[in-house]
Amino acid sequence: MIHIENLSFKYKNGRKPALDNISLTIYEGDFLGIIGGSGAGKTTLSYAINGVIPHHFPGDFYGSVKVDNTDTFDTTPGRLSLKIGSVLQDIDSQMVSSVVEDEILYGLENFSVPGNEIEERLLSALEAVGILPLRYRTIDSLSGGQKQKVAIAAIIALRPKVLILDEPTSELDPKSSEQIFDLLKELNEKYGITIVVIEQKIMLLSEYVKKLAVMDKGRIILSGNVRDVLGHSSELEEIGIHCPRVVSLSNSLRDRGADVGGVWINLDEAEAGIRRLIYD
Amino acid sequence: MINLQNVSFSYNNEKVLSNISFHIDKGEFTAIIGSNGAGKSTLCRIMNGLIKPSSGTVTVNGMDTRTTKSSILARHIGFLFQNPDRQICKNTVGEEIRFSLDIAFTDKSMIEKRLFETLSLFDFDADSNPFHLSRGERQQVALASIIAAEPEILILDEPTTGLDYVECMKIMSIIKKLNDKGITVIMVCHDMEIVLDFAQRILVLAEGRLIADGETREIFKMEEILRQASLLPPQIARLAARFGFDDVFYVDEMTDIVLKRIKNRRKRTG
Repeated sequence: MIHIENLSFKYKNGRKPALDNISLTIYEGDFLGIIGGSGAGKTTLSYAINGVIPHHFPGDFYGSVKVDNTDTFDTTPGRLSLKIGSVLQDIDSQMVSSVVEDEILYGLENFSVPGNEIEERLLSALEAVGILPLRYRTIDSLSGGQKQKVAIAAIIALRPKVLILDEPTSELDPKSSEQIFDLLKELNEKYGITIVVIEQKIMLLSEYVKKLAVMDKGRIILSGNVRDVLGHSSELEEIGIHCPRVVSLSNSLRDRGADVGGVWINLDEAEAGIRRLIYD
Repeated sequence: MINLQNVSFSYNNEKVLSNISFHIDKGEFTAIIGSNGAGKSTLCRIMNGLIKPSSGTVTVNGMDTRTTKSSILARHIGFLFQNPDRQICKNTVGEEIRFSLDIAFTDKSMIEKRLFETLSLFDFDADSNPFHLSRGERQQVALASIIAAEPEILILDEPTTGLDYVECMKIMSIIKKLNDKGITVIMVCHDMEIVLDFAQRILVLAEGRLIADGETREIFKMEEILRQASLLPPQIARLAARFGFDDVFYVDEMTDIVLKRIKNRRKRTG
C-alpha cells in the first residue's frame, strides 16, 4: 500500500535532515501508531506520505515514497487525497468553513460525491464522531476538542482508503479520545481502512493499534507489533518515551521475582496476568 | 485567595457555568478536570476576571473581579492560555519575557535580574525566535513570560497539551517548584496521570456544574462521579479496581499488593 524506501528529507534552510534514511512499509489494513518526541520527524513523515512533501515544502529529498505503486513525485497531493485522508495537527488551519455542516459538505462537494449520497454521508460522519447535535453550530463557538471531531468527521465522510491523523486527540478529554480510537478501530476492522496515527498518548495507542513505529531524530528506531516495541521499555525511556504504567508494573513485578510471562501492554493483559499470579 | 460564590455564566443564552462555589487557599495545587465543553476554560477566565460572572461573585485576594480592572488582577494571577500562540507577541524569547517584566516591574535592575533568572530556569537562548520553536518550546516561552512577573497565583489551561513526555515533565517540574515555594496553582488537565502525580485537590466539572471537589486520591475513587464527567481514573487505579483493591494508584503500590497476595496464596497452598 505505502512503501517508503531510504527516505531522507531536509527542509530548505533546515540545519539537519528532518527525516534520515527511513524505510517503512504500511500494508493495507494496518493500524499503525507513530510515536516519538517533539521534532522527531513524525509530522514530516506524514507529509511525505500524503505528498505535501515534496510538492509543497521545498527541500532536499532522497529515496522514494510509493502509494499503491505510484511514486508521490509523479502525482499530486490533490490526487493522493482521493486515497489518503489527512487530519492535521493544527486543526484551525484545516477548517475552511464557518459552520460545522459546511465544513463536511465542502469536501464532499469538491470530491464530486453524487447529490443523493451527500446527506447520508454527512449524517453518518457526524454521528460516527458523536457530534450530530453540533451540525448547525458555528466553528468558532466550538471548543478545541469539538473542532478536532469536526475535522475528523470531514475527512471520514470522504471515505479514504488510508487515514493519516496527526495527534487527533491532543485536545480531547480521555473519554472523547477513546471514542475517537474506537471509531478508528471500527473504520479499520469493519471497512478495512488503513490507519496511520501520530500520537503522544502511548497508553491509548497500546490499547488500540496493531503496530508501532518509534521515531527519534528523524529516524525510525523501533518498529513492529506493539508488544515487541513496548518490550524495549528501557530504550524507549532513554529517548523520553514513557511506557504505559502497566508495562512498568509487569517489569516491576518481574524484577521482584514474579513470573509475569511477557510484558503486559494494556489493562486486559495486566488483569489476566495478575489473576494467573494470585488465583491460579 | 480565590473565592467563588454561586457563580453562573451564560453565553448566547446558553448556560456554561451553573451555580459554582468554592474557595482556593494560598499554596494549593488544584486540578480542574472534566470533559470537553464542561466549562473548564470558561471557569479559568472567570477566575482571572477576563470574563465576569452573569450572577454570583468572584473575589481574588478580596477584590471583586466585577469591580477590579483586569490589569490589576493580572498582577496577582498569571494565566497560561491553552494555545501558546495566542500569547506570544514578540520576535525573540528575551523580548517576550521582557515584555511582561516591563509591565510588572519599574525597577530596571529587578527586570534584568528576573530576565536572567527566567532564561536560566528554562535554559533558553534569549535571541531565538519563538515562532521557529516547536509547540512544546513555545508553551515553555509562554509560561516563562508569565512566571517571570512573579504572580502569586498561576492558572494554567491545559499546560501539557501537545507536548511530548520530556517537555511535559520539564514544564510540570517547573510548576511544582513554584508551588513548593508557595505559589498557588490551578491547572486544567486531561491527563489523569499528571493530575495524580501533581495535584493535591481536584474540582470535577460536568455540563457547567461543579459535581465534586476533594483531595486527589479521594476523587479518583469516585467512579460514578468520574463517569458523569466522562473521565477515567489513572491506569493503575483502574486495574486495581478490577480486583477490588482500594486506594491503589501507583506501580509500587500495586506491585506490593500483588506480591503480598502471591505470598498469601503460597502460604495457603504450601
